[in-house]
Amino acid sequence: MYHGEYKVPGGKLIKVSFSLSEGVIESIRFTGDFFLHPETALSELEEHLVGEVVDETALSERIASFFDDGGVQAIGCSANDFAHVVVLAVQHAP
Amino acid sequence: MDEIRFIDLEVNPAAKNMAIDEAIMLAMRDGAAPPTFRIYRWKPSAVSIGTFQGMTEEVDVDFCRAHGIDVVRRMTGGGAVYHDFEGEITYSILLPQGHRLVPSDILKSYEILCAGIVAALGHLGIDAQFSPVNDIVAGGKKISGNAQTRRHGIVLQHGTTLLDLDVEKMFSVLKVSKEKVSDKMIRDVKQRVTSIRDALGRHVEMSELRDALVQGFSEALDISLVPGRLSSEENKVAEDLARTKYSSTEWNFAR
Repeated sequence: MYHGEYKVPGGKLIKVSFSLSEGVIESIRFTGDFFLHPETALSELEEHLVGEVVDETALSERIASFFDDGGVQAIGCSANDFAHVVVLAVQHAP
Repeated sequence: MDEIRFIDLEVNPAAKNMAIDEAIMLAMRDGAAPPTFRIYRWKPSAVSIGTFQGMTEEVDVDFCRAHGIDVVRRMTGGGAVYHDFEGEITYSILLPQGHRLVPSDILKSYEILCAGIVAALGHLGIDAQFSPVNDIVAGGKKISGNAQTRRHGIVLQHGTTLLDLDVEKMFSVLKVSKEKVSDKMIRDVKQRVTSIRDALGRHVEMSELRDALVQGFSEALDISLVPGRLSSEENKVAEDLARTKYSSTEWNFAR
């Protein structure tokens, strides 16, 4: 399992826990004090990221288009911040 | 002037407080309840966490159980809040989307609704400002936190205003390793968070804060608060939700 935390400058805290299988995300869970509207978007996003490789640009685009397509508003964080915390977790893995 | 149903200061357990918000929202969705403003306290004292937070990441659940402190997950995002029975009053305001007080711009609507708290603090003699996204500060220190959700065509915003601050208790309830609760850390929190009694340097009664909130929201939002109560249907739904959702491990420990 990989664990990461990222405090968005001037924004909220995003934490992540996930597992990889053959280089792609097997399951992932975000927690934190951020806001997403509608709130149901978070578990949908988590399902949406299964099978993705951990690449900041690709993840960021994937999450941004998920937000756009669903009319999701993130407050205190951005699509890129969610991608960033995932990459940080891999970089900081022991 | 808009008339808003006003449910005056009540005292409930955590699950009931959160269930009442949702019950009002569902009744409004069905056209069975008017826009509503309510103020309330938490008995026993409780910690509420944001809807996306991890319960065991944020809260020392064992400490809470041992000390009779409730824990509950909110339906709103944001951070963990310790609701001391003697130390704060929480409000909730529910308005239909499209109401003049809740524009589609969520950030703007926080500022509009938080003006009620700023005005309330002003009446108590505290110069406070809205601090985006969702806080109110006095003297640069946080004194109120707020959170909003929009579902079923209804906007719910709730928030706390600190009357008093027990930093040691807050650290015991929220998950900070015990070793870290050093004097330095307590000082650091006191530099970031304040309360009405701290800011004024005098004892302020709960009733003064209640009166200030009523006056502040009425004036700043230009609304007429009409005393009211929950319908029997709202009460029934609230009791059901308190039991089946907001007291459940499935909901409270969902993350």
